[in-house]
Amino acid sequence: MSAPLSARGLRLVRESAVSRFELRIENLDVEAGRVLAILGANGAGKSTLLRALAGLEDPAEGRVLRGGEAAVTMVFQRPIALAGSVDHNVRIALRSQGLDSGAIDRRAEQALSHFGIADLAARAASGLSGGELRRLALARAFAIEPGVLLLDEPFDDLDAAAQESLSRDLRRTVAQTGVAVAVVTHDLRRAVLVCDRIAVLLGGGLRQVGPREEVLNRPIDLGVASLVGMTNLLPAEIGTDGVARIAPGYAIPTADSSIRGSAWVGLRPEHLKVDIGRGEGVSIGTGEVVEHASDGILTTLGISWAGHRLRTHLVAGRGMARELVVGDAVSLAVRPEDVHTLPSDSPRE
Amino acid sequence: MNELDGLSLLAITLRTLALCGSSLVIALALGVPVGIWLGSRNFPGRRALLGLVNSGMGAPPVVVGLLVAQLFYRSGPLGDLELWYSTQAMVTAQVLIALPLVVALVVAAVASLDADWALQVRSLGIPPLWRHWLLLREIRLGLLAAVIAALGGILSEVGAVMQTGGNLEGETRVLTTAILMYTRMGLFESAYALAAVLLGLMLILAGLLTWVQYGEKR
Repeated sequence: MSAPLSARGLRLVRESAVSRFELRIENLDVEAGRVLAILGANGAGKSTLLRALAGLEDPAEGRVLRGGEAAVTMVFQRPIALAGSVDHNVRIALRSQGLDSGAIDRRAEQALSHFGIADLAARAASGLSGGELRRLALARAFAIEPGVLLLDEPFDDLDAAAQESLSRDLRRTVAQTGVAVAVVTHDLRRAVLVCDRIAVLLGGGLRQVGPREEVLNRPIDLGVASLVGMTNLLPAEIGTDGVARIAPGYAIPTADSSIRGSAWVGLRPEHLKVDIGRGEGVSIGTGEVVEHASDGILTTLGISWAGHRLRTHLVAGRGMARELVVGDAVSLAVRPEDVHTLPSDSPRE
Repeated sequence: MNELDGLSLLAITLRTLALCGSSLVIALALGVPVGIWLGSRNFPGRRALLGLVNSGMGAPPVVVGLLVAQLFYRSGPLGDLELWYSTQAMVTAQVLIALPLVVALVVAAVASLDADWALQVRSLGIPPLWRHWLLLREIRLGLLAAVIAALGGILSEVGAVMQTGGNLEGETRVLTTAILMYTRMGLFESAYALAAVLLGLMLILAGLLTWVQYGEKR
């Protein structure tokens, strides 16, 4: 089955008096019933790509193909209220489609209550706060029941509870309706929570696209690795035994047999085990806590090991026998299958 | 020439309203689409066009009247139409006076919208006709400002309508030309009566539009 929205041989160009920006996308599908997260650094062209997918920006080359008649709608990074009430904003697109009043009422009421703004229905949309406006934009888009939903930074301006709720709604809607969703977000954690697939924009092109786990755990180069949160990247010499030697006396076992000799070793923070002592993973020795930051739920540790600073995340109350502080020595372990290897000439950008 | 009677006052007032109303409708019909087009498109020469529109706002009405009069004069390019000293010539002059005001205020209203407004509406799958209606709704305060400015401009204008209409009794005499005539004749009571009506009309129309505008903002 063809994807409801595809980009083929796309070249997007933006020129101003002081800058020129070009983005090339050879092949990208927004698949039905799946959420595609589009990641990239600031200025990588994420929003431009989303607009091109929505048919709102003409490419210099290539085409955006629609797999059917289903509506494609987009929620902008800066949500825009149309003149009139909140209710009018949600209903106007439905009215313009010629739906009967019963269907309009049902969809509008459902969308408004879904996003917790039913009590604001009679209010002028121009008087809404940033968070309320974001909910309105989302309610308006969901009410259309589109075949493809394109969301540009949908979690901005929402408080933590509303972000959770939107993540849940998005997953549920995708599961129930089979809508194809593409999300641009700078919030990697949120993207990981909602997406099935990840597309990474880097260096003016689509560097990697694939299933979430594959992109997160097997980034194709150092640039992608950094963008998808694989922050522990160490230069190493990998022997024929598959062991990556980082420094004299410091080594990491790998399960990847594709690279030998000079290489990079990558490890996601959540895959670096601390003070486990229960036989989970292979010990890589001891490190010293040099950085400790906690929001009460998630603790980020910086650990000095083999002359490098490794990062790991700990969830409060999960598996730690003691409260760690800066200066503590901790035993470290990894699972060889979690260790990713990259060629030594892997591009950083 | 006699003092102004009530019947004549009523006839002059109604003619003034009819002429100004027609001019306003034509100026809006031409100016709003042009203003929307100029305000929402970017193309080579746009700045020059905007400059022309802004210059038009400051054009002396008497010069506009002179040009239109020359146009419709018997030996002028449109002399065959025999419209010199006619209500049609007066409406032409009034439209030319009001048009730059309408265009400029609509351009300003469209330009003040969010840069992504049109894209947002398009992305909701709203058809083109509905999108135009939504745009008019969005810029309605700017439209009201354009109506007030245009109406003020043409209702109070005297030079151009005198040159193109000639102040013919029962045909092209309007409030402003009648005030001028009675003043010149020293019939100040009649002139004051006409001036009171003109002021009253301005106040009522401008007040009504301002009330609508204020109500929208609340």
